[in-house]
Amino acid sequence: MQEYLNKGIKEVIKQFPPVADILNEYDIGCVPCSVGTCLLKDIVQIHNLSPEHEQSLMAKISRVISPGQEIPAQAEQPARKEKPETEIKEIKYSPPVKKLVEEHVLIKCWIALIPAVIKNMNLESPEGRQLIMDGVDFIRSYADKYHHAKEEDILFKYFDANLDIIKVMYEDHETGRAHVRAIVEGVNKKDKKSVAEHLLAYQELLTGHIKKEDEILYPWLDRQLTTTQIGEMFAKFNETDLKFGQAPKKYEEFVNKIATDYSD
Amino acid sequence: MAEFEGCPGSRMADFRGKDEGGGDAPAGKVASQLRQWPIQMHLISPMAPYYQGADVLLSADCVAYAFGGFHPEFLSAKGGSTSGGKGKAIGIACPKLDEGQDVYVEKIKSWIEDAKINTLTVLIMQVPCCMGLLQLAKQAAESAKRKVPIKYIVVGVQGEILKEEWV
Repeated sequence: MQEYLNKGIKEVIKQFPPVADILNEYDIGCVPCSVGTCLLKDIVQIHNLSPEHEQSLMAKISRVISPGQEIPAQAEQPARKEKPETEIKEIKYSPPVKKLVEEHVLIKCWIALIPAVIKNMNLESPEGRQLIMDGVDFIRSYADKYHHAKEEDILFKYFDANLDIIKVMYEDHETGRAHVRAIVEGVNKKDKKSVAEHLLAYQELLTGHIKKEDEILYPWLDRQLTTTQIGEMFAKFNETDLKFGQAPKKYEEFVNKIATDYSD
Repeated sequence: MAEFEGCPGSRMADFRGKDEGGGDAPAGKVASQLRQWPIQMHLISPMAPYYQGADVLLSADCVAYAFGGFHPEFLSAKGGSTSGGKGKAIGIACPKLDEGQDVYVEKIKSWIEDAKINTLTVLIMQVPCCMGLLQLAKQAAESAKRKVPIKYIVVGVQGEILKEEWV
């Protein structure tokens, strides 16, 4: 069992498929992760399980990996999904991290509109192409330059860039940028099918990415940061906000307009 | 036996017999981590150099007596999870008994705006009246043009940390 604690989770799941179900049972969403290099031991820490649930989870995994040499579970705890509703705590973020979570709200609004945008897509008209390009501008300027820049240039700088969980986030950002390039290419070629495919892929990617950040990464990063670092980060985010001026407001209006246009 | 037991802030509690040996606490002297004087909110100047850009503690008077590891945990640069960073400057007050608390609001505002503090951590006891200190801090922060992260930590009467949360 010990040697598997230092192995990447994808490798562990590949070798012992029932581990995937155990992780799902505890709401640990490593199974669909595109990278999966986080170590088994880190995953347990990152997900901030209670000591009882951690012990119970590890006992179950141990039963699969090393039958006969299980870690004893003193009192078997039900997985999170089976816990009473009252035990589910609201996630409390530090002020700078809360800002990032709030920025996700607008991004989630835009990606929720993507199916409607695709349904009404008309690449033959200049207006139709402009609408897609406005969406691209929102992604590039708001989601990427404004929001992801705060993550990549400020928040992630407090951590080791080689941490697997950080690498996964960088990889998601890069994959997102590749989809955006493909969307622009599709618009230029008036290739409706390609634009739709990449818009949907971007929607799927960002939906999972934001969920991972809001529920796993940010709370974990928050727990690692000192009070001093939180203060510094808050000041740096404020500087970024000042630099961008009214631009975020403009993008909020853009998303609201699309939402109004496509509301039934 | 009266049902009404009076103000929780002044209700008698007897902790004798509770872990009198000191439990796992280290023996011997603990070095002071205080980096300034004065500390009482009526006496401090918010523009004193040790407040400039600092992580500041606004502590209710009783906290230092209730929380055994006050210096290493809250004041020290090498403090635990609740501290961390470069060490803290401090101001102390009692929101229940002190007079002239409008001055406190102005001084906290000046910490935020003029001394450009990095963060403010409000340390209060679990008794309800202590919440008044957090309210003073919030009032000052709302009136300040500059914004800083504010955290509050609630300490139990037997010295345990009951809550730690960003506002």
